[in-house]
Amino acid sequence: MHAIEIDELRKVFRGRRGASVIAVDGLSLRVARGQVFGLLGPNGAGKTTTVEICEGLQTQTSGRVRVLGDEWTHATSQQIRQRIGVSLQDTRFIETQTVRETLTLFRAFFNRGQSVDDAIAAVSLQEKANARVDKLSGGQQQRLAVACALVGDPELLFLDEPTTGLDPQSRRNLWEVVRAFRARGGTVLITTHYMEEAEQICDTVGIVDRGKLIAEGTPRALVRSLGGEHVIEVTGQGLAAQGEQLAAGLPGVTQTRLEGERMTMQVAAPHQVMPLLIKRLDDRGIELTELTTRHTSLEDVFVALTGRHLRDGEAA
Amino acid sequence: MQWSVIWAVSRATLRDFWRTPEAVFWSYAFPLAMALVLGFAFREQARAPIPVAVVAADASYASALAALRSDPRLGVKEMDVVAAERALTLGAVALVVHLSSSALRLELDQTRPESELAELLVRQRLQEANGRRDALTIATTNVTRPGARYIDFLIPGLVGLNLLGMGMFGVGFNLVYMRVRRTLRRLAVTPMGRAEFFAGFMVTRLVLSLPASLVVVWFGQIVFGVPVHGSWLALVLLMIVGGICFSGIGALLGSRAKTIEGASGIMNAVQMPMWLIGGVFFSNQRFPGALQTVVDAVPMSLVTDGMRSVMLEGKGCGGVMLPVVALLATGLVCLAVALRIFRWN
Repeated sequence: MHAIEIDELRKVFRGRRGASVIAVDGLSLRVARGQVFGLLGPNGAGKTTTVEICEGLQTQTSGRVRVLGDEWTHATSQQIRQRIGVSLQDTRFIETQTVRETLTLFRAFFNRGQSVDDAIAAVSLQEKANARVDKLSGGQQQRLAVACALVGDPELLFLDEPTTGLDPQSRRNLWEVVRAFRARGGTVLITTHYMEEAEQICDTVGIVDRGKLIAEGTPRALVRSLGGEHVIEVTGQGLAAQGEQLAAGLPGVTQTRLEGERMTMQVAAPHQVMPLLIKRLDDRGIELTELTTRHTSLEDVFVALTGRHLRDGEAA
Repeated sequence: MQWSVIWAVSRATLRDFWRTPEAVFWSYAFPLAMALVLGFAFREQARAPIPVAVVAADASYASALAALRSDPRLGVKEMDVVAAERALTLGAVALVVHLSSSALRLELDQTRPESELAELLVRQRLQEANGRRDALTIATTNVTRPGARYIDFLIPGLVGLNLLGMGMFGVGFNLVYMRVRRTLRRLAVTPMGRAEFFAGFMVTRLVLSLPASLVVVWFGQIVFGVPVHGSWLALVLLMIVGGICFSGIGALLGSRAKTIEGASGIMNAVQMPMWLIGGVFFSNQRFPGALQTVVDAVPMSLVTDGMRSVMLEGKGCGGVMLPVVALLATGLVCLAVALRIFRWN
C-alpha cells in the first residue's frame, strides 16, 4: 500500500475581482511506504499547496488524496494526525518556551511517541535543550521544527522546505535526521528547491512546475533520461552566431542548448568530446572564455523539461 | 477531550504569562497602582476652613472679629472694601462681612452652597457673641463609615476592569498573535482538537484571574479598609464567572481576526462601552427607564454591581445567583460560537 496517493489534484484560489489562481493543476502521484519522496520545483510551482492538502491544512478544489489509506474527513482527521509528523514552512513556536518545553507540549498531543530527550538528541539540540525558542538561531529553530514533527513517532513525515536558508552544516545535519527516520521504516514527503538536496536524500523525485508533475523517477533515472550523465558548458565570443550546429556530429552528445554566448551539452563521455570541440571552436575563430564539465544534475533535467532554471521564479 | 492535552496547553500558556513581564505588570501591579492613586486622590478629607473676608471700619469691632475667628470652620481674613469685593467676585472668599458702626451687613452669592454655610456660621457666631443662647442641647456624633467612600465603589470596578483586560489580551489578543505568527497553523496539524486548545486557555485564565482579582480586594481591605460585608464565596463565584465571561468574549473576538490591527479595533469597540456604562469608575445607576435595563445587563455591570452588592450590602451566594448565571451563560455561549467559527489559519 502507498503512504500517499494523489489523483488529479486541483486547487484553485479565488482572488479578488473574480481573478483566480490555479495553484495545483491535475497533479497525481504515489509515494510508496518506506520511501523518501522529494517534490522539486521552483517557488510558486504548487509544492507547498500540494503538501498542505496532504497534511489536511488546506482542502482541494477537486481530486482525491489519501494519506496512509484514508481521505481527510471529520471522522478520520484525528486518527491521521496521530500518525503523521509535520514541519511547515516558516513555523514560529511560542517564543517564551524552551526547546524542552516546546517538545513536551507537542509530545502531549500524541498517544504514543518518543521521549522528549530522544527527540532533542535526534536533531542534536542537547546543548540548547533549556534555551528559549527566541534565543535560537534559524538553523536551530528549523531543527526544533523537525523534532516537533518527529516527537509523535509518526509513520509519515512531511517536511516543507526544511533546509531553506540554512548553513551547509545544519543542512547536512537535517539530511542525517531524514536518513535515520527512513532507516527505521518511515516515509517522507519533502519539498525543496535545492536539487542537490533531492539528489542526496530522495529515493524518488517528482518535478513540479506550474501545478503539474512533469517528471518522476529516481534521481539517477531522471538524469539518465537526458541521455548523457555529463554536462559540458562552454562560453565564448561569437558562440551565439554559430548556433547549435557547432555540436552536430560530436560523439555521444544527446542534447544541446544555447543561452546567449553559453552552450550547454549533454554528453556521455566528455574526454572524447572535449578535444574535438576545442578544435572546432579554434577553427571558427571563437575565443573561449569559460569551459567546464560536471555531472548532470536535476537542475539540468528541470531546464531540459521547462526551458527555465529552478531559481528563475525566486525573485517573483 | 484529553485532560493531559488541556493541561499541557494550559501549562505552556501559564509559563508564557509569567515570562512576559508586561502581562504580569498589567494584570497584577497596574490595578493596585490604580487603586492606590485613585484611592488617595478621592479620599475623604477634613474640610478646609471656608474663606471669609471681614471689612472692619475701626477697632471697636475687635470682639466681633474674635468671635468669628474662634470658629475653626471659618477662615477669616481682614481686607479693605475694594480687595474684599474683588475676592468675592473671583470666588477666593465665600462671603464678605462688613462691620461698621452704622450697620452689620453680609455680602454673598446665595446660589453657592459654601457661601450659604458661611452665612449661617457667621450669623450664629455674631449672635452668640452678643448674648444669644441655645434653647435646646443637641448632641452630634461625627462618623466616617467605610462603604460609602469612592474607594469602596472603585475596588469592585477595578476587579471588573482587570477581568475584562485579561480576557481581551490574555485570550483574544494571544489567539490573534499566534495566528499572525503562524503558530496556530502548526498546532492545527497536530492531533490536538480546538476544544482542548480552548479549554487549556480557559484553565490558564481561571488560574490567573482569580488571584489577580482577590489581590485587588485584599489590597483595598488592607490599605483603605474597604469592607466585605457579604459572603466571600459569592465574591469568588462572581470573579470566576466574570473571568469565564470575558475570556469567552475575548475568544470570540480573537477567533477569526487575521491582523493585530483588526483585532485591536474590534476589542476596543467592545471594551469602550463596558468601561463607560459598566460602572467601573462612576455610577451607572442614573439612566432613564428602559436604558437602565440595558445598562444593568452589560456583563461589566453584572460583575461590578454584583460585587458591590456582596461587599457593601452584605449579600450572599443566593443574592448574586442571577448575575452569576447570566455571566456564565454569556461566557459559554461566546465560547461555543468561538469554537465553531475559529480559524487556525
